[in-house]
Amino acid sequence: MRKKITRYLITIAVLLLVAYNSVYFKKLDEVKAAQAALTFNAASYAQKFWETKLMPGLGKAVEVDSLIPMLAATPVKAFDNYSHALGIGNIRYFLVHGTGKVTSIDADDISLSITGLNNQPIKIATEYIFGNAVRDATGLININDFSNTMDFNNVSAEINKIIRAKVLPLLKNVKVGNSIAFTGAVELNKEHLSLAQVEIIPVAINILPQK
Amino acid sequence: MKFLFAILRTTTYTMLLALLLSGCKSNTTSSKPKKVAVIVSTLNNPWFVVLAQTAAAQAQALGYETKIFDSQNNTATETDNFENAISAGYNAILFNPTDADGSVANALEAKAAGVPVFCMDREVNSVNAATSQILSDNYSGCVSIGKYFVEKMNRQGKYAEILGLVGDNNTWNRSKGFHSVVDFYPGLTMVAQQSADFDRNKAMEVMESILQAHPDINAVFCGNDAMAAGAYQALAAAGKADNIKVFGFDGAEDVIESIQSKKIVATGMQFPKVMAKTAAIYADEYFKGKRDFPKKMPVAVELVTQENVSEYTGYGKKDQ
Repeated sequence: MRKKITRYLITIAVLLLVAYNSVYFKKLDEVKAAQAALTFNAASYAQKFWETKLMPGLGKAVEVDSLIPMLAATPVKAFDNYSHALGIGNIRYFLVHGTGKVTSIDADDISLSITGLNNQPIKIATEYIFGNAVRDATGLININDFSNTMDFNNVSAEINKIIRAKVLPLLKNVKVGNSIAFTGAVELNKEHLSLAQVEIIPVAINILPQK
Repeated sequence: MKFLFAILRTTTYTMLLALLLSGCKSNTTSSKPKKVAVIVSTLNNPWFVVLAQTAAAQAQALGYETKIFDSQNNTATETDNFENAISAGYNAILFNPTDADGSVANALEAKAAGVPVFCMDREVNSVNAATSQILSDNYSGCVSIGKYFVEKMNRQGKYAEILGLVGDNNTWNRSKGFHSVVDFYPGLTMVAQQSADFDRNKAMEVMESILQAHPDINAVFCGNDAMAAGAYQALAAAGKADNIKVFGFDGAEDVIESIQSKKIVATGMQFPKVMAKTAAIYADEYFKGKRDFPKKMPVAVELVTQENVSEYTGYGKKDQ
């Protein structure tokens, strides 16, 4: 009888041990947090890129007063020396810098007259802040560092969000006649180059004091 | 002693014969051109026919034997094509996958057999399976279409979206690029989003059913030109072609003509010939010893509208 009880107790103990080790309870929040840590966070990547690569690298932007005449005169040289793109094709991006006087404020953009360009108008985009121009203009992000193309594209979307949140508000109080220093990205088609309507997506804006 | 000499003589003759045979074999192999297989998702769409034929023509021009395999949009058929290509001794595969996830195993099988795979236009969800992937920048192309769509719609109206194959990354990269712009405008409402598998006939049926449920839509964005052509056909049959704006993606010949005749509003021009030629050139470079290929090589997509369509022809630019 005692033997039987001992056998039952051992069996129950083994079963309890197996059952205890078979089932785990974890907080749902912890599981979700662990999964989130494994997935790519485009917003934090974009923020880091903005702070550690884009802003410190703004000094490398080419002066728009010298780029536009070079594009008109020797486009191949201008594209070779100053543009960036990730792959094959005619669409390429430039990081440009310049100063100009506001000539008009429209729904989608602000027009500037650039003194060094014989007052040729340049537009600063204020509505259509989309696409990969800013991400690709620096040439500092490599597509091959990303296992998934969508993650890579989401970086652009997040960079554009930063521009809407941090840069566009600086243009809110701008008035016709103000002088502005700007740095931004511009997309141009190498084969079908149109310099009549150059539109810059701004990444840095400084409204200069009135003289 | 005699016996020892006999053994030595036999061994020497055997070795000489073996050397001679191996020499013959290596000569035979080196004189034969290498073979390049072109495995394409479907030949039921003219765009992929151009992709496959250009890849094969470029590989032939580089001195290789080629054969085109049609996967008929079916990963099982694609698996058979890979097995056949590998067992038939093809040395490289220029590959247009049917499914971003489902095609990974096929590319890995080729890799395990020592056959490099170069993806064209569509990607596989693996950084190790293919030697290089030459892909259209679908997202950026559809960002451009999205901007043009917003302008043409004056930032308001109802629209439908017809998606491609749901298992293909291009479908979602295009859709997300488009929505990354259009969703910023609350006046634009998407009333229907359905898949038509990149197929013209299916798109026609899908468009017909969308029209029944939402006869008041103002526009439709289609994930490729075959579906845009099918959607336009359904709209024309319903007498609504003049009221509903159709936007496509690809740069197929019939849609470029439709943009010229102001039937379709715009498309994104992909460059299948550029992608196919690049893949064949990469295979050639691989055979010559190069190994450091970019894992992904995006090819820019250009917006084709009724204003700039004169600069383009089907599947590329006029001067290409």
